[in-house]
Amino acid sequence: MAAQLPPARSRIPGSGLAKGLAVTLRTMTRKTVTEQYPEVQPDLPPRTRGVIGLFEENCTVCMLCARECPDWCIYIDSHKETLPAAAPGGRERSRNVLDRFAIDFSLCMYCGICIEVCPFDALFWSPEFEYAETDIRELTHERDKLRDWMWTVPAPPALDLAAEEPKELAAARKAAEKLAAQQEAERAEQAELAAQAEKPGQAEKPGQAEQAPGSGQPEPGEGQA
Amino acid sequence: MNDALDVALRLLVVFVVFLTFPLIIGQTEHKVMAHMQGRLGPMYAGGFHGWAQLVADGVKFAQKEDIVPAEADRRVFQLAPAVALLPYLLVLLAIPIGPGEGAVGEVVDAGIFFVLAVMGVGVLGSLMAGWASANKFSLLGGLRTAAQLLAYELPMLLAAASVAMAAGTVSLPGIVAAFEWWWLPWQIVGALVFFVAGLAELQRPPFDMPVADSEIIFGAYTEYTGLRFALFLLAEYAGIVVLCGLTTVLFLGGWHGPWGADGLGWVWTLLKTAVLAFAVIWLRVTYPRLREDQLQKLAWTLLVPLALAQIALTGIVKVAIN
Amino acid sequence: MTLAAAGHGTLAAAAPQGFLSPTGVEIAFVLVGLVTLGAAVVTVTTRQLVHAALWLVVALGGLAVEYLLLTAEFIAWVQVLIYVGSVVVLLLFGLMLTRAPIGRSPDADSGNRPVALAVALAAAGALVWVVADAFRTQWIDLDKPQGTTDVTGSILFRHWVLPFEALSVLLLAALVGAIVLSRRNAARSDRDGAPGGRTGAGDSDKEQR
Repeated sequence: MAAQLPPARSRIPGSGLAKGLAVTLRTMTRKTVTEQYPEVQPDLPPRTRGVIGLFEENCTVCMLCARECPDWCIYIDSHKETLPAAAPGGRERSRNVLDRFAIDFSLCMYCGICIEVCPFDALFWSPEFEYAETDIRELTHERDKLRDWMWTVPAPPALDLAAEEPKELAAARKAAEKLAAQQEAERAEQAELAAQAEKPGQAEKPGQAEQAPGSGQPEPGEGQA
Repeated sequence: MNDALDVALRLLVVFVVFLTFPLIIGQTEHKVMAHMQGRLGPMYAGGFHGWAQLVADGVKFAQKEDIVPAEADRRVFQLAPAVALLPYLLVLLAIPIGPGEGAVGEVVDAGIFFVLAVMGVGVLGSLMAGWASANKFSLLGGLRTAAQLLAYELPMLLAAASVAMAAGTVSLPGIVAAFEWWWLPWQIVGALVFFVAGLAELQRPPFDMPVADSEIIFGAYTEYTGLRFALFLLAEYAGIVVLCGLTTVLFLGGWHGPWGADGLGWVWTLLKTAVLAFAVIWLRVTYPRLREDQLQKLAWTLLVPLALAQIALTGIVKVAIN
Repeated sequence: MTLAAAGHGTLAAAAPQGFLSPTGVEIAFVLVGLVTLGAAVVTVTTRQLVHAALWLVVALGGLAVEYLLLTAEFIAWVQVLIYVGSVVVLLLFGLMLTRAPIGRSPDADSGNRPVALAVALAAAGALVWVVADAFRTQWIDLDKPQGTTDVTGSILFRHWVLPFEALSVLLLAALVGAIVLSRRNAARSDRDGAPGGRTGAGDSDKEQR
């Protein structure tokens, strides 16, 4: 056993005992990790799975969350409403209106599947955790309370430096750049037209050469973003 | 009349020390152990950093029902905590904290023999508890206690004998009065042996085989509840006070200090005792429990030879300087 | 005995006094003596083995108090240290290894009671006779301490060095004998292939229940 130990190991007798004493003494001088919870609120990370908040303005009562829930702890009631046509002579639109949205937190196992499947970003994790009740039946929290918890949902954390751009931003940027490129092209075309009007027949070839780099410029910009 | 008053006052002071110092050490253990483990320890009782935690514990213990198991040997079972606790009170009487007659509860001529003898009696309490509980874990705890005491009493006595030889007296104030600073390197081996053997006799970790909670629940004290259990715990902490005080007096020069030894000698004694008590707690936090065979091996193959070597060294030096 | 002999040999004894005006110390001495005697009698007559050991503690402690009352402090503390602190602990350790039940042991009685009583009485009579004959009406002056460590040490190592050394050789012989015996037992049990003398603590506990 002893022969297998690496030769670099210290051979002073009792050095292991001294090392142990040093470890405890060093720990004593450091800051403790204890959270003094009732007096001091814990500093929870933003992705804490405390409770599920409902952003009911986004909810379309698609029922995906209720159907995916492994515990069947989400209760959704709704009714259909008919909206009058937007334009005269148009067709009436119908939509679902949310009547009840409740989550039974005595059943919920905090898997987060409902939040993952929600296609309209209506469900969010909130770090709020102080919702204990004295009766298990009161743990079924209703829509208003779930909506209130939305206020405690933190802003999404900043992306990593090298992360891919969020799809929303990428789409918006692409649209803006397309618009800018279009406007640029139009402006160039108008300038060309004006130049042609001044010197007809002479500047046909240099005009084409100028246009090619001008229209190509937005392309590398997109790639960099 | 004046004498009676004097005696009463001394007894009262010793009794107050007996009741408060173990609590202070217990509270220190709570906090130091917590911080050594990256925790805060008790924070609520009493308001400021949980200073009254042990008072609260005492109140809790006093409220609990005092249960004696049906199969137990009733009288022995009930007597055991007192037998475990009282010897330490007696020992405290004999420990001097400062020079002169005024700083010791009672001057005992054969002080070393008195304190070691009476400390050994305290273990009888654990044995009585272990046997009278009618519980196999208690019995095992009692057996381990007895085996441990038999193994560690010898090196402890030998180490104490070494320092008595050095001082040429067996009275505790006499030993401290004869102390010189160079005794520290001279008697260092004896001091270590004494301290380690004392820890083992108090059954403090890492020598807590008799109460090894993961094996035999709480050893001899398994069946105890309420106030009697609290008395056993108090005995353990009183034992720490006594052991640290004794080590201070015998090996660390008691009230002698680099400066201020004239009027404030007792401060030095208390300071050294406190440092030793911290070391006791520190060792508890740091080291895992020794196995029973390791425990016996340490005593017989290491501590006893070391103590004998120390006695030989003491004798040689003593003859040489004479 | 050592102390008594020492007192006889070197210490100045006080003048003889009467029995009719006992001092406080003398009364305490007699009372503690009675307690010690009672505890000793209970030790040998009780049928609860562990209680017998605990009563032995009382008897030995009482003896220590008697030494103290005679100002033989050193002897008193050594008595506590050796007998109460070590011998009784060893005794209890041994008892715990046996099948001693809580409560009365049915087989704790032996047929030798009358013989044992006779031997005990004879021994007590001989000791009392020897002591009474040696000292007769001498009184120890209790006002000045005569059994301090200082006095005991100088008497032991000046007047009685030879008996002391002889005793230590005797103890050494006993020690060597014990080691030899235990080694031979260990060798034999190894040869038999059965661990001898290993009555587990669990067995005795089963008996207790």
